[in-house]
Amino acid sequence: MSENLLEVRNLKKYFPITAGLLRRTVGHVKAVDDVSFTVRTGETLGIVGESGCGKSTTGRMIMRVLEPTSGEIVFDGQDITKLRGKELRAVRPKFQMVFQDPYASLNPKMGIEEIIAEPLIVNGVNRKQATERVIHLLERVGLRADDRNRYPHEFSGGQRQRIGIARALALNPKLIVADEAVSALDVSIQSQILNLMMDLKKEFNLSYIFISHNLAVVRHISDRVGVMYLGHMVELADKRSLYADPRHPYTEALLSAAPEPKRQGRRERIILQGDVPSPANPPKGCPFHTRCPKVMDICKVERPALKQVAPNHLVACHLYN
Amino acid sequence: MAEPLLAIKNLKTYFISKDAEVRAVDGIDIEVQPRQVVCIVGESGCGKSMTSLSIMRLVPKPKGKIVDGEIWFNGRDLLKLSEDEMTDVRGNEISMIFQEPMTALNPVLTIGEQITEVLLRHRKMTKRQALAKAIEMLQFVGVPRASEIVHEYPHQLSGGMRQRVMIAMAMVCEPKLLIADEPTTALDVTIQAQVLELMKKMREDFNTSIILITHDLGVVADMADHVVVMYAGQVVESTDADSLFAEPTHPYTKGLLASIPSLEEEKDVLYSIPGTVPDAAAFPKGCRFADRCPIAQPSCREKMPELREVKPGHLVRCDLV
Amino acid sequence: MGTYVVRRVLGMIPMMFLITVFVFLIMHAAPGNAFDAIMNPAIKDIEQLKQQLEHNAGLDKPLWWQYVHWLGLFVTGNWGFSFNHHVPVTQLIGPAIRNTLILGILAEVLTIAVGVPFGIVQARNPYGKFDYTSNVVLFCLYSVPFFVFAIFMIYFFAIDLQWFPAQGSTGTGPGAGSIGDHLYHALLPALSLALVNSTVYSRYTRGSMLDVSRKDYVRTARAKGLDEGRVFTKHVFRNGMIPIVTQFGLDFGSLVGGLIITEGIFQYQGMGQLVIDAVNGRDYNVIMATTVLIAFGVLIGNLLADILYAVVDPRIRYD
Ligand SMILES: Nc1ncnc2c1ncn2[C@@H]1O[C@H](COP(=O)(O)OP(=O)(O)O)[C@@H](O)[C@H]1O
Ligand SMILES: Nc1ncnc2c1ncn2[C@@H]1O[C@H](COP(=O)(O)OP(=O)(O)O)[C@@H](O)[C@H]1O
Ligand code: SF4
Ligand code: SF4
Ligand SMILES: [Mg+2]
Ligand SMILES: [Mg+2]
Repeated sequence: MSENLLEVRNLKKYFPITAGLLRRTVGHVKAVDDVSFTVRTGETLGIVGESGCGKSTTGRMIMRVLEPTSGEIVFDGQDITKLRGKELRAVRPKFQMVFQDPYASLNPKMGIEEIIAEPLIVNGVNRKQATERVIHLLERVGLRADDRNRYPHEFSGGQRQRIGIARALALNPKLIVADEAVSALDVSIQSQILNLMMDLKKEFNLSYIFISHNLAVVRHISDRVGVMYLGHMVELADKRSLYADPRHPYTEALLSAAPEPKRQGRRERIILQGDVPSPANPPKGCPFHTRCPKVMDICKVERPALKQVAPNHLVACHLYN
Repeated sequence: MAEPLLAIKNLKTYFISKDAEVRAVDGIDIEVQPRQVVCIVGESGCGKSMTSLSIMRLVPKPKGKIVDGEIWFNGRDLLKLSEDEMTDVRGNEISMIFQEPMTALNPVLTIGEQITEVLLRHRKMTKRQALAKAIEMLQFVGVPRASEIVHEYPHQLSGGMRQRVMIAMAMVCEPKLLIADEPTTALDVTIQAQVLELMKKMREDFNTSIILITHDLGVVADMADHVVVMYAGQVVESTDADSLFAEPTHPYTKGLLASIPSLEEEKDVLYSIPGTVPDAAAFPKGCRFADRCPIAQPSCREKMPELREVKPGHLVRCDLV
Repeated sequence: MGTYVVRRVLGMIPMMFLITVFVFLIMHAAPGNAFDAIMNPAIKDIEQLKQQLEHNAGLDKPLWWQYVHWLGLFVTGNWGFSFNHHVPVTQLIGPAIRNTLILGILAEVLTIAVGVPFGIVQARNPYGKFDYTSNVVLFCLYSVPFFVFAIFMIYFFAIDLQWFPAQGSTGTGPGAGSIGDHLYHALLPALSLALVNSTVYSRYTRGSMLDVSRKDYVRTARAKGLDEGRVFTKHVFRNGMIPIVTQFGLDFGSLVGGLIITEGIFQYQGMGQLVIDAVNGRDYNVIMATTVLIAFGVLIGNLLADILYAVVDPRIRYD
């Protein structure tokens, strides 16, 4: 594969918690705590993990809609972490986002043409060309040219997601962050959208960061997969290696807990005890040690670093020291 | 086979308004044996929830109406009971848990108040006895600090804990039938695994039959003894779980299974069922799946196929298989 | 909760300060002063006398000086004399506050007592006959200007039926000034205000109860085998009251506005009457004192509503 399109280094996001008479900051929700990874051109990086583990926060920081507490985001060779105003607007078209609930992210009062053309017009494309492009995009995502005169509420969930994708594609981005993009859809519609996204990727030479809590969907669409837990990246590996040979005890439990639609040869299920701890008060040492079936003494005091244990397979766990 | 605990015969539940008749449930037959787990599976809008609410006779008024059918439970037709007699059945002989554990619990009442309420309604108990029983039940479903939690409010608990509370509340009168409508859809996989495990334990310890409604065929494979596949208000396939996964027969069931990405094997292109579910206010003539069916023939659009036995105990609504 | 209340009360101080500055400026920006209002043009050397009086009252000093002077005295409890009534302001205000509190509390109690049950009955059978006809009646009542309605109430209940006095806050005969006498005088104005306000509250209540009755936890309550009566009293009612309490807090300011108008129409001797008289007579010390108290009352009312909100909704935790 070719060079890195995106490089994320030591990214952190701490949301302050305030309390008391003077609204002093009394603590932080450590939503994302020191996460690093890369996305190569033309690659799909999947990010999985349970709700609240920091997936969306990571995505939103990369999109530069949320200010990181610290860390660096290098996109296409340029450090975009500190860009502001005009400079930021100049790179914005190159990365776009697709959301879980397409209805919430589409303005209900705007017609479809307006929704998709808006980013084009803002970037100086004239009306006529914009309309042509809207028609082209609609047809490309499986809708009809006539649909541009309708409104979001007239479409089903799957169709709305197609509209969201068309809008994201309007400015020829290089990277699309899809945050739970198929999670609200029925399986038959989900597979339509997954197939569409995979086709578009080839056609437009896109890279994806595909965020989802659904392990099977992530496996299907991704080249590499990162597993997050409580704001940390605990395992990051080539898809085949990760699913065939998960190394981190959390990944193992997660995979065993996801039920496969088959009756024979089902895996032994590892049932984790308890809930994920609060990111406002994360455990010391390994973030997973409160639920880990293989916990050792060192896990409670020292945080394991993300280290290579096999080719293209990084794990943050003391078992591999 | 023994006398079934529940036998739904030709149930029809419609939403009737001046300008439309939405046929949410359109002539279904389902049987549940004692101690059996029956899964009802299908995409959203196919009538799963309305089926369960019909059994409870809690179809939303005033538009929703059970227009035809019989629901035999323990030797009585529930549809012939008076409203008073029906309240004696609800929460006592048949109880129900819902998808959203957050919104299904009353935010202003303590957990204890909400559980004891069921006991005070159906059992001759003092408040103190009821509270003791509630605590015992919470401990049984694995809620830690049960004697403190009875005095807490739902918002103080995690999603998984709330669903355990819902289960405790539903099981506290030891019902013969538990209806669970998408009980784990809102939960993370590791928590889903805990809750499914708990439901199995409930069946073992209380000999309760379970109707488990889900859109997730993985959950079906894990839990079901018998599976009912619904499409557009009808049963399209009904058989024991092993044969459903070994020999899915209806083109819709096959399509669903092929649309799901797998955790274990590589699928290059996912099968996708084209189009969307037909509008329940205007079903087409003939087979309701014809527009999306890969093997449809002109004859399919003429005549509605009957649910027929293709093998002993394996019912399919399709004339061409 | 404790620190929350302290923070809110502390937050009132700058608010109150701004309000006094604002009222002070408006008051002095208006043409004329107290002495214009009471001067008899027949007096000789009227200009000289007026200057003398103004000088004694400090009115010839710069505005900022007057304000600081007033503030200094006010915070130490010296609220000054009324120019027009020639008694200390505190003496005027005492009975006025009492009367207004009687009227206000009575009006609120009646508003809730009429509006909420009415809305509940409507919500129990929505889109039915009662719901429909009562909505029309409420809408008419809501559309009538308040003073027209109040005059109608006076005409009907006080003049025609003679059940209540037409005006005033106390009687003259034996028993005058007793609690019963006060309530008797406050009842008609309070009822008038309450009937109008309750139209709004019955709408809120109806909407809120209907909203709650569609919630998932109400379905859960039914699934437990509770009958409709219990489902309502235990699950719908309490949740349905939460937005009403919030609304009550938001409406507190407009309630005070309504009270001032009501007192004017019924010639009821409360804070409202006192304010109107003082403004007409340019009675600066009375204006300042009444405004500060009314503003304080509104702020405290809002705070009470917020506290009540936390009482009815366990999810609300102030810190
Ligand atoms: N704006 C915010 N303020 C405070 N906390 C936040 C905010 N956004 C997210 N969080 C917290 O950060 C954590 C990670 O959230 P998120 O990135 O949305 O997780 P995910 O997408 O993996 O479910 C959660 O605990 C969440 O409550
Ligand atoms: N309150 C309602 N009014 C009118 N139609 C409804 C109502 N609730 C559900 N329906 C319709 O009934 C059908 C079945 O709904 P439901 O049983 O909730 O489906 P499922 O649970 O399988 O997703 C759908 O077509 C839906 O639009
Ligand atoms: S570091 Fe320790 S606690 Fe953490 S995952 Fe590895 S074994 Fe478990
Ligand atoms: S009856 Fe025809 S259209 Fe319907 S499922 Fe069978 S083959 Fe397909
Ligand atoms: Mg998210
Ligand atoms: Mg449903």
